[in-house]
Amino acid sequence: MLLLIGSLQLGLLYAIMVMGIYISFRILNIPDLTTEGSFTFGLAVSAVCVVGGHPYLGILVSILAGALAGTVTGLLHTKLHIHPVLTGILTMSLLYSVNTFVLSGSPNLSLIGKDTIFTILIQQLPGLDKEVVKLIIAIFFAALCFVLMAVFFKTRLGLCIRAVGDNTDMVTASSINVDGMEVIALAISNALIGLCGGIMAQYQSFADINSGVGILVVGLASVIIGETITGKRSVTVGFISAILGSVVYRYIIALATSTNWFPAYWLKFVSAVIVILALAIPVIKDQVQFKRQKHQTSVDRKEGTL
Amino acid sequence: MTDTKTLTNAPMLAIRHASKTFGLGTPNAHVALKDLSLTLMPGDFVTVLGSNGAGKSTLFNAICGNFYLDHGTIELGGKDITYDKPHKRALSIGRLFQDPMKGTAPNLTIEENLALSYSKQTRTSFSFALRKEDREMFRERLSVFGMDLENRMKVKIGLLSGGQRQVVTLLMSTLVPPKILLLDEHTAALDPSTAENVMDITKQIVRQNHITTMMITHNMHQALVTGNRTIMLDEGSIILDFPEEKRGGMTVEDLVDLFSKRKKEEFANDKMLLS
Repeated sequence: MLLLIGSLQLGLLYAIMVMGIYISFRILNIPDLTTEGSFTFGLAVSAVCVVGGHPYLGILVSILAGALAGTVTGLLHTKLHIHPVLTGILTMSLLYSVNTFVLSGSPNLSLIGKDTIFTILIQQLPGLDKEVVKLIIAIFFAALCFVLMAVFFKTRLGLCIRAVGDNTDMVTASSINVDGMEVIALAISNALIGLCGGIMAQYQSFADINSGVGILVVGLASVIIGETITGKRSVTVGFISAILGSVVYRYIIALATSTNWFPAYWLKFVSAVIVILALAIPVIKDQVQFKRQKHQTSVDRKEGTL
Repeated sequence: MTDTKTLTNAPMLAIRHASKTFGLGTPNAHVALKDLSLTLMPGDFVTVLGSNGAGKSTLFNAICGNFYLDHGTIELGGKDITYDKPHKRALSIGRLFQDPMKGTAPNLTIEENLALSYSKQTRTSFSFALRKEDREMFRERLSVFGMDLENRMKVKIGLLSGGQRQVVTLLMSTLVPPKILLLDEHTAALDPSTAENVMDITKQIVRQNHITTMMITHNMHQALVTGNRTIMLDEGSIILDFPEEKRGGMTVEDLVDLFSKRKKEEFANDKMLLS
């Protein structure tokens, strides 16, 4: 039971990060490696705020930290014309030092015994079970982000961002500032990822400099799992699929670890394989179709029906 | 180039002594525009002829700001736009390309594509891009074309045929009538009957909205019967210019004769210079 609720909490909280990755990966069409740095950046600033006694401020600052990271990546690409994958790697690398600095040079920071948004609300709602309160907080943040994003991508600005990811040529010809759109989109994407880091720090009462490692692949795997459930439709459905994918991903992991199929350190391997498979399926389908066609033609020729 | 009809009115488009050389100072230097001047009055519909590399698309690119001129100025609607950024001037310019894929976003639906161009002048960034009344207006405007597009507004544009995409692009560029509409062989990639259909729709939209238009075409007959003026470009400048009254009754043969005569004259002049 605890595992069921715990996985749901994690799935919903990580869903915020997955929505951010959905924006960069599916809407903008950029695999944005900033993720690994911006997640930890949000985590670090949030942890430091908690230590200072300001958990709510920590959440707010983690959003700004993520947005700042995304803006840097966006500017590196649009203004200095550095390859989008490399810009993400560069920002991630920059942030590694920044994050260590934020954590005062130590690789991790424990928040045990400090007030976090989770401990505060658990105290304020004594009638409810601890895990249920955590779940409510997770639902609140995931739902809030979902509504904000679903509405945002229906606005003029949101529509322009979607068009930039779809057909850049056309967008330039229709009086939209392509560079500006990309920077805004990356800032929003990483703001979500930073927020996710900020909440996670308070959820686990612990911040580690390596928390962000491999998080992009986790996000991509979740996006892809979600899309196999809902199919690719509108952007609103896309955000729903991101949440679903994130939750399902956590359950897969919970299942794998609780049944001892494999040790936990293989999880990243499994995530990467999920992503590779999902991206390879269209190509494999085409090849199978081609082979079948070729074979059929040769059979027809032998039988003289062609 | 003086316009004989409406000298009292201000011109819609005025290009003065435009010159552009690509790769200036390198062995590959290529003169794309050579002291080109052109004035269009409001409501003019000019067809543009010229062989490949004559500078037709370069002229359009100059108007759209894909590059800046070495010399000369461009005024649109009385405003100097010579050094305006492309996305800024695009507000008052509509442009269609030969490739139907270029003008629309394939993964956005028909109504989203239309909303994208319609909202650019009517909405702020944070207001909803697509309202109920917009949808009704789009439906009405699409129904005129008889392509059943009005019932497929939630279909992704990528699933439409080239002709249908071009019609949607045309509507996108003219929902809010632009100061100038640039058509760059926009029917060349379509089959003959679709091309004719799209051409009719183009004429209808231009006429109804009184849009100043330039259209590049390789079809000389079409060039002579469409719009009210025909110009021919060669090596980056205008070598022939026929306002309506001069081109009436002109046949394709006349045009070819005139062109080769002009080229021979030029050739003779060059020869004189060299000898």
